[in-house]
Amino acid sequence: MAEEEKKKTLTYVEKLKQQALSQTNYGGEIPDKAARMEIRDCPNCSAGRAYRDGLTNCAYCGFRFMDSKLTDGIHIKKDNNS
Amino acid sequence: MEELLRQTQERWFVFLEKLEVRMGEMCNAAIPELKAIFKEDQDPYKRAHGRMLAGLLGQLRRMQDQANEVKEDKILGLIYSSGVFTSNDFREACFNRHYAFEKRCHDYTSLLREAAGQQDLEAFYQEQLASFALIKDQFTCKQCGGKIAISKMFFIATYVTCLYCQTQNTFMPSSGAQMVLHNARSLAEQRTAHLLKIYEERQPKDPALYQQYLRAMFDQWNQITPDMEEENEKFYLRLLKDNSINHL
Amino acid sequence: MSNNPLLEPIHGISLEDYSAACAKLGSGLSEEAIAKVLGVELPVWQEANLLWPERMKQDQTYEIMTLFGQYFAQAGQHPKFSNAVNGGAEDAGYTAQIKADKDFYQELEVARNVAYEYGLDGAQWIADKYGITLGDFQIAASKWNTQIHAEIQADFQEYTQKQDAYNAKYRQMFASAQGGNVADDITF
Repeated sequence: MAEEEKKKTLTYVEKLKQQALSQTNYGGEIPDKAARMEIRDCPNCSAGRAYRDGLTNCAYCGFRFMDSKLTDGIHIKKDNNS
Repeated sequence: MEELLRQTQERWFVFLEKLEVRMGEMCNAAIPELKAIFKEDQDPYKRAHGRMLAGLLGQLRRMQDQANEVKEDKILGLIYSSGVFTSNDFREACFNRHYAFEKRCHDYTSLLREAAGQQDLEAFYQEQLASFALIKDQFTCKQCGGKIAISKMFFIATYVTCLYCQTQNTFMPSSGAQMVLHNARSLAEQRTAHLLKIYEERQPKDPALYQQYLRAMFDQWNQITPDMEEENEKFYLRLLKDNSINHL
Repeated sequence: MSNNPLLEPIHGISLEDYSAACAKLGSGLSEEAIAKVLGVELPVWQEANLLWPERMKQDQTYEIMTLFGQYFAQAGQHPKFSNAVNGGAEDAGYTAQIKADKDFYQELEVARNVAYEYGLDGAQWIADKYGITLGDFQIAASKWNTQIHAEIQADFQEYTQKQDAYNAKYRQMFASAQGGNVADDITF
């Protein structure tokens, strides 16, 4: 009798483990991505994005890449406003 | 009356013991499984392990509920209904036994929580440092193909300027590097846990020891994520202020 | 409006923008999409996303945290996001109900916690069963929390009775789905 109960407990634990493993994590798995480099060409004049007087506007045609006023952050600073 | 009390007490003891035996069986079976699932779980937040642990703790809580219901119904019920006739011995024996049961639950809860141990954040961090060292000189400008050396480990997307053509590239750190930022405080806490322990074990509490710990923890934190030092220091001052209020 | 300097926008992203963005992230919008809606690029968004929580940590008055909760609850009305997401569609079905019906929220809040107690991911369970995303669930939580606190203060007993009934219902439900609890056979 005691042995049977023990077996039931073991089965319960095993089921709990399988259930824990088989569920998908909310929002899906977190992909393990390698570091990479990206670039954005100017959608207006298709020039490569050069840094001349700031980050917010295209250095060649003045197109506004970003509609925001940069402040002093971690790497991006106030001076990076075009 | 005496006989009823004796029987009830006996049944109460047997009932709690059965629950304790079951609890022990469950925990003994679960502990190696918790260790295994923690090791297997590829999720950086170890959520499969978290789910299994939560399920086990839920079962412990159900057993506590079972005991509480019976206590309410059979033990307190008898005490109230028999009023002055209940001996203090009965009450004390039953309550003490329940206290011991609760203590058991508490101990098993800790055992389950600690079964898998802590995530080895130091090893993970060292791995990330090593893999960053391997890749940092391998990036090229997407515009002109010129080499771009990544000067330090970035934890979030960051603009980097090509030295040859001045093009703004965006460097996207690896998922692992992003996790370093996420884990930075916990790693700093792991590294300085011995100092926190000294503070916690000293009686009476000595605020100077806490400050020592806090400074050391933030030094480690800043060392792991130097980019966040300015912000971390502001947070440090805030904690220091909170702490001096708590110690007043 | 308060003069708290910690409320100044970060890279042009105000606390209202940030709070709504967090709610939308919780509903499955990607960081890239968030950045686009806010009119910035990913590095700018990621800095703001790192710095707003820092401001909350530094703020001893809890003003930022409180406002964050309020703005989060109103994320659906944020002009930048309401047009960009779902083509501005109104909430429907259970998502609308949880924001309109406090009892429904309280019941699902209990159900979600009990799901965790039975080894399930409660947030996922709510999403599977009711189609309510974590973001929308948290919006409902921010919306109802003040009222629920007031009710607890006013009539604690009524509140706990209601919670107990929900707890009993869902514990029974999740337990029977697993063939009972480990110690159901042990009786007095």
